Amino acid sequence: MAFPNVRLSNRPLHFIYLCDCSGSMAAQGKMQALNQAIRQSLPGMADVARENPEARVLVRAISFSDRAFWHIPDPTPVTDLVWTDLQAGGITAMGEALELVASQLSSPPMEERALPPVLVLISDGQPTDDFERGLSLLMRQPWAQKAVRLAIAMGHDADLEVLQQFIGPEPFPRLPEGEVPGASGHQPRMAARSRSPRRPLQASNATSLAQYIQWASTAVVGAASRPASRLGGEELHSNQNQSNIPLPDLPPTLMDPTDDIGPLVW
Amino acid sequence: MLPEGSDLAFEGLQARVTIVRGLGGGTQGQVFEVDVAGERMALKWYFPNSIAADPNLERRLLASIQATAPNPSYLWPLALLRPAAGESTRLPLAVQSFGYLMPLRPPGYIGAHEHVGGLVDISLQTVMRSSFFLAEAFHDLHLRGLCYKDISLMNLFLEPSSGRILICDNDNVAIDGRDPGSVLGTPGFMAPEVLLRQARPGANSDLFSLAVLIFRLLTRHDPLLGSLELAIRCLDEPARRRLYGEDPVFIFDPRDDRNRPDPEAHPAALVTWPIYPAPLQVLFLQTFGIGMKSPERRALTGQWKQVLARTLDQRRLCPHCGQETFPDPAAPGRCWNCGRELGPGLALQLPHGLVQAAAGNELHPHHFDNLHPQGLGNPLARLESHPSRHDLLGLRNLDAHPWQALLRNGERLNVDPGQVCNLAPLTGLVTPSGPITLLR
Repeated sequence: MAFPNVRLSNRPLHFIYLCDCSGSMAAQGKMQALNQAIRQSLPGMADVARENPEARVLVRAISFSDRAFWHIPDPTPVTDLVWTDLQAGGITAMGEALELVASQLSSPPMEERALPPVLVLISDGQPTDDFERGLSLLMRQPWAQKAVRLAIAMGHDADLEVLQQFIGPEPFPRLPEGEVPGASGHQPRMAARSRSPRRPLQASNATSLAQYIQWASTAVVGAASRPASRLGGEELHSNQNQSNIPLPDLPPTLMDPTDDIGPLVW
Repeated sequence: MLPEGSDLAFEGLQARVTIVRGLGGGTQGQVFEVDVAGERMALKWYFPNSIAADPNLERRLLASIQATAPNPSYLWPLALLRPAAGESTRLPLAVQSFGYLMPLRPPGYIGAHEHVGGLVDISLQTVMRSSFFLAEAFHDLHLRGLCYKDISLMNLFLEPSSGRILICDNDNVAIDGRDPGSVLGTPGFMAPEVLLRQARPGANSDLFSLAVLIFRLLTRHDPLLGSLELAIRCLDEPARRRLYGEDPVFIFDPRDDRNRPDPEAHPAALVTWPIYPAPLQVLFLQTFGIGMKSPERRALTGQWKQVLARTLDQRRLCPHCGQETFPDPAAPGRCWNCGRELGPGLALQLPHGLVQAAAGNELHPHHFDNLHPQGLGNPLARLESHPSRHDLLGLRNLDAHPWQALLRNGERLNVDPGQVCNLAPLTGLVTPSGPITLLR
């Protein structure tokens, strides 16, 4: 005498961390901060997975330094995930990391039907290998084109241009007031623009890193699993909707010197 | 956002409010458990950017607070809170906002997604009752001229023991057709004309969302996800726009078989749909058939209430496998679960209804008085098995008055409030509400 033993059919949602483990990550406790941020985010991610019966959230992770390796090779349900600490040391084989992801996003091994994958690239420096080759191999995969690609820049030495290339073309570059697009002959500085999930997220300290990891593993997973409540003000062809998944608002963060928060006093 | 343990003063509120703990956050703001003069309540606090995006929010909330909750299924806004004048300086810049107080969700309620995800044991009767309470909640809301606009699994909670529901996030409720408001709804639950932005959400689009929610509760499946979904590799926004807006096809549409459920990919829909009697299926066929493109032709809240209440009355337990079934009393047919003949069953004839004698079924005031609105809140009687002899079925008097049971030998027996009488020796009962006759 019970409801039949059936459940909503679901699709896999692949969530892949690409973590920079180069030697510079050993400085200022950055490696420990990243390990902690990911570990602390897992219970919240498990809650979101439970709230979204239409998605089967599966997590993997890649670490890259001298070479790129699968840190978590098997797509693992978030409830079964145990985060083993990453260790820092070596250079920055970011291109090879993208190649590794590319090999897993072709079908097979990718399922025939899935939700858009979520790729989160975290780095504090510059790639030391052939990044362009890795990116081009990745972006040849239809699943990579459909993926939600996020990047977190740790500290101020991260190569924001490279991270932006991973994310894709940035939305509506905001020019200084009165400036005609293209007139200055150069791209406006990254720091002068407002925060957006379509730009590298600047994590200048452990707290903001933890907030961004939390946001990616909960709000973004939620948005990729199931459609969120929609506001009428959002135009159909607004920049938010250029991508195939409308991304949730970024978390309100503590003041970050590189974020455009406007003048403090006037 | 609001620091836990802080003690804050708000405009127009004498008591100070203590932030006890964070309960969760959404896209619009965060919800906290708070203590107001010794009473625990919930406080929703908006992010400043969501207030900026929704200029009518405050006016809408004040109107809802003034209107008061349409029925007990809503966690309705009780008071709008703004930090008192001196308080702003104590709060970080990002919290200079406003929020509203509402009742705290009592323990025992689970998110509706837990049921749809197959994570809880629940009876078909309970799910049917939840569906009734949901239709009733929309009925009472619409009767007040209000509409909900953004119902989805995420703002519905169920109590698995009783089927009672709670609807939260009532801040989008508005007077139908007046305030444009900012919310459109949630894709998958939104009516196609709203998703395509050909219409604003209102009472008629609520009727579509209500049918989707009832379908998802009763089947653990999505009414528009069938074969057409299988052709989609990456289920993203453009794909959802096609499935739910541009070319929506009900998976059981008798005139369009392009979107039938796939036995391997969509087993839940195929297993559960045959459980439900034709009059209930008809309301889905209507809403997702002609009502798909003609909002004014969708099944009304009152129709859902009536059909769901009757389906509950039809509930029987299969004599062979014990599973819950909802057969037509005139033609019981076979059990959906074990496939064996159900045969005739014992039923209670009431002045305005026929209730099958199955443990757990209830008699309600609307069975005796057809002017009484259909409701499950105050049952007059409940069918129950004997605590040790499960083959004995009795009727518990939940009325405030004693009843007279009529025995087959012509004798009469007093059944006091709270007592259960064995149905086996009875021909009927006399109650102040009206007669009950046993049909064998």
